[in-house]
Amino acid sequence: MATAPTSATIRTYHVGFGDCFLISFEYGRKPERHVLIDFGSTGVPKGVPKSRMMDIAANIKQRTGGKLHAVVATHRHRDHISGFATGKAGQATGDVIKSLKPDLIVQPWTEDPKLGPEATGPSGSNANNKKFGAGTSKQVAALSLMHEVAHQSLAAGNLPKDLRPEIGFLGESNIANPSAVKNLMKMARNAYVYCGSKSGLEKVLPGVKVEVLGPPTLKQTDAIKKKRSRDPDEFWHFQVGATALAARAEKERTTLFPRYVESRGLSYRINARWLIHHARTVRGEQLLQIVRSLDQEMNNTSVILLFQIGKKKLLFPGDAQIENWQYALGQKRYQTLLTSVNLYKVGHHGSLNATPKSLWKLFKNKSEEKTANRLLSLMSTMEGKHGSVYSETEVPRIKLVRELQHESDLFTTQLLKGRDFFHDTVVKF
Amino acid sequence: MRNVRGTRHSLPNTRTLTVIAQDPSVTFRGKMLTTELTVPAEELLPGPCGYRINVVDYDAATNTLYKPMVYGRPSDGKYEDPFEFKERGRSSLRASRLHDQKLLQDPRFHAQNVYAIAMRTLAQFEFALGRRCAWGFDGHQMYLVPHAFADANAFYSRDDRAIFFGYFMGDSGKPVFTCLSHDIVAHETTHALVDGLRRRYMERSQPDQAAFHEGFADVVAVLSVFSLPDVVDAGLDLASGGRSNLISSKLLERYVLKQSVLFGLAEQMGRELSVVRGDALRRSVSLPPGKPYMSTLSYPEFAEPHRRGELLVAAVLNAALDIWLARLAKIGPVAPGKKDRSIVRDEGARVAGHLLTMAIRALDYCPPTDLTFADYLSALLTIDREVVPDDDKYGYRKWLLKNFNDYGIQQAGDTDADGTWKRCDEELIYSRSHYSSMLHEPQEVFRFIWENRDTLKIDADSYIEVESVRPSVRVGPDGFVLHETVAEYVQILTLQADELKKRLGIVPPKGIDPKRRIRIFGGGALIFDEYGQLKYQIANRIENVKGQQARLDYLGESGFFDEPAVPRPPSGPQSQFAELHRMRQMG
Repeated sequence: MATAPTSATIRTYHVGFGDCFLISFEYGRKPERHVLIDFGSTGVPKGVPKSRMMDIAANIKQRTGGKLHAVVATHRHRDHISGFATGKAGQATGDVIKSLKPDLIVQPWTEDPKLGPEATGPSGSNANNKKFGAGTSKQVAALSLMHEVAHQSLAAGNLPKDLRPEIGFLGESNIANPSAVKNLMKMARNAYVYCGSKSGLEKVLPGVKVEVLGPPTLKQTDAIKKKRSRDPDEFWHFQVGATALAARAEKERTTLFPRYVESRGLSYRINARWLIHHARTVRGEQLLQIVRSLDQEMNNTSVILLFQIGKKKLLFPGDAQIENWQYALGQKRYQTLLTSVNLYKVGHHGSLNATPKSLWKLFKNKSEEKTANRLLSLMSTMEGKHGSVYSETEVPRIKLVRELQHESDLFTTQLLKGRDFFHDTVVKF
Repeated sequence: MRNVRGTRHSLPNTRTLTVIAQDPSVTFRGKMLTTELTVPAEELLPGPCGYRINVVDYDAATNTLYKPMVYGRPSDGKYEDPFEFKERGRSSLRASRLHDQKLLQDPRFHAQNVYAIAMRTLAQFEFALGRRCAWGFDGHQMYLVPHAFADANAFYSRDDRAIFFGYFMGDSGKPVFTCLSHDIVAHETTHALVDGLRRRYMERSQPDQAAFHEGFADVVAVLSVFSLPDVVDAGLDLASGGRSNLISSKLLERYVLKQSVLFGLAEQMGRELSVVRGDALRRSVSLPPGKPYMSTLSYPEFAEPHRRGELLVAAVLNAALDIWLARLAKIGPVAPGKKDRSIVRDEGARVAGHLLTMAIRALDYCPPTDLTFADYLSALLTIDREVVPDDDKYGYRKWLLKNFNDYGIQQAGDTDADGTWKRCDEELIYSRSHYSSMLHEPQEVFRFIWENRDTLKIDADSYIEVESVRPSVRVGPDGFVLHETVAEYVQILTLQADELKKRLGIVPPKGIDPKRRIRIFGGGALIFDEYGQLKYQIANRIENVKGQQARLDYLGESGFFDEPAVPRPPSGPQSQFAELHRMRQMG
C-alpha cells in the first residue's frame, strides 16, 4: 500500500509582510492532504488590492477542495495569525479557514490555556513545573502582558519622528489579536508543542515524519543557560504599569501633577528646550528597546517543524531566533537531521538573528552550482518595513539574501508582481 | 572689602534642605523618614538651577513641563528650607502625615530632593579628592529630570548630559517615583562622577570593570544613606524597640546591628523600586563571608556585573560594622550596661562618612583602564596609608583588608605585604619638564612620559594620551596638608586578531575573523608627590599577557566579537577643511 506521499507542492502566498504557506502532499491516486502554515500580514506593498487576504483565503479553499487537514500557527504575532480572525457576519478570512474544517491545530506550548495564570490549582501547576520548568505560568502570563505594553506603546504620542515608524510597526505586530487566538483555540483539536514533543501531524499526514525542534520549554532552556537573570512576568508587569500611566495621561489630558503644569508644548521656556529635545529622543529610544525586546521574545515562541518524507526534509522555523534555536542546535540528533535539509523556509522574513550561522553551516545541500539536489529556500518578506540598513538590522538582511541567492534556489515573495499572489514549489520524493 | 550683599562678613557656605532619607517606604515612628542635608549654598535660579545642577522637570511621556522650584533670597544671612517639617504641639502625628502627603504630591519637592542629593554627592567627591570634580561630559551643569518618562528605570546618559528618573504605576495603583529614592539618585550621580574621573571604565573589559561601576555606585549610595544620623537612629529603634536615650550594650553586637540597622533598612526599602535599584543592600548583607565568590568557575552567577558589584558592597558594609564596633568599644557606659544612644548613632554615621571619603579618594590610585577589584583594594589601602600613616587606633585598613578577603577579593599582584602599591624607585629624567607646568598641563606630563618611556615601560607603538592632570589636596589627621598631582595616561594598541600571538603572546578568541581589529588597552595613574617626584606608577601594561588574555577570553565568551565592529563615525568638523580645500582646487 503506497501510504507515503509522492510529492509536495508548497504554495507561498504573497501577504506583504507576513507568512502564509500551504503545503499540499500528493498521494498518487489517493486525495491530497493539506497543511496551512501561518496566515497573517502586517502590511502590503503599494498597489496591492485590499482584498488580498480574502483572495488568499478563497484560493486556499479552492486549492484544498474545501478540506484542510492541519493548521500550524507558529506564534502569536499579527503577521502570522491575523488571517485567522473571524468577523461578526462570519465573512472574514478566519471564517473561511474555519469552514475548511481542519483536523488539527499546531501551536507552541506557550499558547496552551492550561498553562496560564488562570489555570492554577495545586496539582496542575506542580505537574506543569515539573514538565515545563519552574516559572512556566509566569512566562505565559508575561506573554499576555506584552500585548498590553504593545498596545500602550502604540498609544504613546510625541515620539521623535525617526523612531515613530519602527515603534509603530513593532507595536502593531505585537498587539493582541483575540479573535484569531480564539478561532485557533476552537477550530479543531489543538496540539501545543515543544522541542522533542509529538505534533500529532503524523496521524493526519500518512508517511510523513514530523520533528518538533522548537520552542524549548523553560526546563530545556535552563539546561543550556546558567540562569534566567530576571522574572519575565515581573518585568513586563512593571512595563505595563509604567506605560499605562503615560498612555492614560495622554488620553485624558491629565498629568501626574495637574496643579503644577507650566507648559504642555506650545512654548517651553528657552533654557529647557535643549533638554526637552534630548529627553524626547531618549524616551523614544527606551520605548523602542522595550518593543524590540518583546517582539524578540514573542518570535522565540515560534514552532520549528522539520517534515521528513523519505530522504527529503522540509524545514519551517516560523520566526524563531537564536535563543529558540539554541536548544535544538545543541543536540547531536537534530544536528544530523538538519544537515540534509532540502527546503528551508527562511526564518523571520530574512532577519539577522533568525538564520543562525551555526544552522546555515549545517546545510549540506547548499551549493554555488545549480545541481539537482540544490537547497531550495522560500522567503516571505517585504523590504523597508522593519529595521534599517545603517544599523545592520534591515529585514531582509542584505548579507543573508546574497548568501541565499548564491548558495540556494531562492524564491522570495518580492518577485511576485502585479496580480500574481502565489508561487508553487514542487518537491518530488 | 565689602561684598555684594553689603556685609563685610563671608556669605554662608552651606544651606540645609529637607529630603527623603531613603525612600517613601522607609518610616520612622509613623512618619516618612526625612532628613536635612547640608549642601553648598548658592543663589539658585528657578529649577533649581545652580552652578553644577540644573533640574528641568519635563515629562516626555505626557509632554508636560512642570513648574520649577523657586527659592527666595536669604534673610538674615540664612537660606530658607521650604519643605522643612515644623512640629507643632500634640496633633503632630496628623500634621506629619499631611506633611508627608505634601512632599509626595508637590513636584517642586521632588526637584529639591534630586538637587540636594546630587549636590551632596558631588560635595562628598570634592571633599574626598580635595579638588573640583567634573561630570563625565564637557560642560559644567548636569541636567536632572525628576519625572522624565513612564518607565521603571533611571539612568545617567553622557551624551544627554543628564540623569533621567522614570516613574511607574505601583501595585497600590499610585505612581512610584525613582527620583524620591536617595540611593538611586546618589547611585546615578556617582556614575556621572566616576565617568568624569575615569572615562575608560565604560569600555568593555573583564567583568570586574563593569561590576565596579555598579558596585562602587552602590557603595557610595549606601554609605551616603548610612552617613545620615537619622537613618542610623531609625535602625537603632528597630534594635532597641524603644525611644530611650540609652541603649543596652547587649544590643551593640555585630549580629544585632547587622540585622537591625543594615538589614532593617533593606527590608523597609520600597520593594517595587528593586527593579530599578537592584537589591544590592539586602543581597550583599545576607551574603555569608568566606567563600571564593570572585572565582567565576566556582560562582558563575557572580560574573554578572550587578551581582559581582554586590561583593564590593558586602566587603565595605561589613568593614563598616567592624569599625563601628571598634569605635564603640572605646566609649564607656553612661549607666550600668548602657551607652548613650546619640553617641552610638553619631559614631555609626561617622564611620559611614569616613569610609565614603576613603572609598572615593581611592579612585585616584586606580589604574585608568581594565580595572579589577584587586586594584581597587590596593588603591584603597595605599591612599589611606598616605593620608593616615598610623592605622592603630581603629584599624580601618585592617578591617577593610579582612572583609575584602572574606568576600574573595585579594590585593593586587604587584604590591607590598600589607596590600599597598609598591613605590616607584626608578631613576627618572625630570630636567626636561617643568615643575609648575607638571601640576596641571597634560602636554608637559606627556613630555615627561615620552622622555621616560623606557623606564616607565610604556610601549611607544601604542597610541598614548595623557587624559588628565589633577591636583589633589588632603588634610591628614596631623592637620597638615598633603599635596599630590595625579596624572592619568591611556595607551591603545590596535592589532589584527592574527597579530596578537606574535606581538603580545596572546591567543585570539576562537572563531574570530583573523583580520578583525582588536583594541588592547593599557595605561596608568602617575602620582607625583609634593616635590614633583614620581611616587607611584599604578599601571596596567599592554604587555600584561595574563590580564590581556583574560580580558579577550571574557569578551569572546560574552559574545562581544559576534557583533559587527562599530563603524567609524562620520567625520566631524575636520572634513570641513578637506571640503574647503577641494573647492579651492576645483576653482
